[in-house]
Amino acid sequence: MTHKLLLLVCCIFLLAGTAAAETVPCDSDGDGTLTASELATAILDSLDARFMGGTVEVPSSDDLRDAAFVYEHWDGRALTITDSSGRETTLSRPLRKIAVFNSDTIEMMRSIGVESDRVVGVSKYTLEDPTYFPEYRGKANLGSTWAPDYEQAAAVRPDAVFLYATISQSSCDEIEETLSSIDPGIRFFRFDSYRPTAYADEVRTMGALLGKEEGAERFLAFHGSVMDTVAGRIASIPADERVSVYLENWDDYKSAGNGSGYDEKIGLAGGRNIFADTAVEYPAVDPEAVISRNPDVIVKIVGAGELVFGGYGDDDPAPFEEVTRAIEDRPVWDRIDAVRDGRVHVIHSDVIGGPEYFIGVAYMAKWFYPDLFPDLDPRAVHQQYLSEFQRLDYDLEEHGAFVYPV
Amino acid sequence: MNSSVMTPRRAVVLCILIALLAAPAAAASVERTVASLPEGGFEVTLTVTDIPVGGIVETIPDGCTWAGTDHPENRTRVSGQHVAFAVVGEETVRYRMQGPAEAGEEIAGTWEDLQAGESGTVGSDGPRNPGEAAQTTAPGAPGFEWAAALAALVVLCVRRCGR
Repeated sequence: MTHKLLLLVCCIFLLAGTAAAETVPCDSDGDGTLTASELATAILDSLDARFMGGTVEVPSSDDLRDAAFVYEHWDGRALTITDSSGRETTLSRPLRKIAVFNSDTIEMMRSIGVESDRVVGVSKYTLEDPTYFPEYRGKANLGSTWAPDYEQAAAVRPDAVFLYATISQSSCDEIEETLSSIDPGIRFFRFDSYRPTAYADEVRTMGALLGKEEGAERFLAFHGSVMDTVAGRIASIPADERVSVYLENWDDYKSAGNGSGYDEKIGLAGGRNIFADTAVEYPAVDPEAVISRNPDVIVKIVGAGELVFGGYGDDDPAPFEEVTRAIEDRPVWDRIDAVRDGRVHVIHSDVIGGPEYFIGVAYMAKWFYPDLFPDLDPRAVHQQYLSEFQRLDYDLEEHGAFVYPV
Repeated sequence: MNSSVMTPRRAVVLCILIALLAAPAAAASVERTVASLPEGGFEVTLTVTDIPVGGIVETIPDGCTWAGTDHPENRTRVSGQHVAFAVVGEETVRYRMQGPAEAGEEIAGTWEDLQAGESGTVGSDGPRNPGEAAQTTAPGAPGFEWAAALAALVVLCVRRCGR
């Protein structure tokens, strides 16, 4: 009982700081729309009081700043958005302090130009990757979706917490429930930030939510130029003439079944997944089944499980070659067309599993149909993504290992 | 040929690179130009760059008098020698004043970019006090951090005790 009473007192105290957040700031007539005239009056009142000896009641600096944001980005009205879990949220002020449990979402935010100083806490995975996320060094460590640090998350007092939408749903639900009971003013948003079917919508929604509409459109133009090029050229290939593909993740003989993310990405690159008829998302397959289905191309994913090498923090390509040789040396696999024709490819999960999946799709499209894509340079796409959209000083000519053969 | 010798072409390329690297990203600023009017007095033009929503306060010198503006009336306020302009999307603000010939050089002004939270001096190159625009209240009310931490501890304690 004492605990519950104490919690109630804390919640009331915390709510006192957010109670004013429900109306559009500086909307003096209270009609729900902040007009240019209302905003101008608020600005003049503030300048008058601070520089000209005026004595009128003035809006706070936070109110003025939030009003400027709402006017500029949301046409002066509250914004209602639907996240990838289908939940609608209405905001009358911008989100200034964001906590993000999902490093894919941090990457998506960076793609559209969200400033790192708006982020008050990140997952331990973001902090454990200082090569890729250098600007988040020193941010509060929220732990992970599966082992959250609630004390840290509450201590940074976020306006909003971002979680996965479709994976680890029960863990994400528990985080929401716990943090809501600590601070009922926190808003929760669910984004996956890596699923191709939802990717463009999520980028746009994120842009509107965080006032980065232009950044979102600029990034989508780049992303679309890659995906549209691939889609446009493979469109004319009849289904039964498409390259057959065996995809294996970091575990030997673990493939991708119907509806899995990798199955979708093979399709986006114009391939035909030889295990697309398997209902299990990530089935363990029989080596004999691979031989009998005789794929034209084999794609092996590394960077996780027993194959943790390559990516942004490792410049050594040698293990990629070893993995390729090991696949080619599997018993009787020399009967497979992909092995006979030298079409075994290794790709790092960084460029196919997360928000960078479109780079992996570009690589695969070029591997599947080299004659169709003589002018497509996936490494140049990757470099542009890093330099222009991730704003990283990272030269792929000198660093990283992502694919084999290069 | 010694490759470490700086040729003129290399020097030019290096200078261009340095200039490009040194060039700041688009930064908010307000520039002032003053023109004498044939009928007497001055027209002052403030050119606003990268300030979508903000404010400008100009202080016109003693001995000068305010003579009007093209800026919307409901975005302008005059008090003594001070004039405030609310900027809501405008890129130019023009006003007029009467006064002695040298008065144009004595105008002082400050601007604020409300979205970026920056402020600066009219006529200077960029923000003077990043993050300090319209700072009329403390950025965060004290005490909330410990309340949040205490609430987190209580919730965790309740959850652990309940298991």
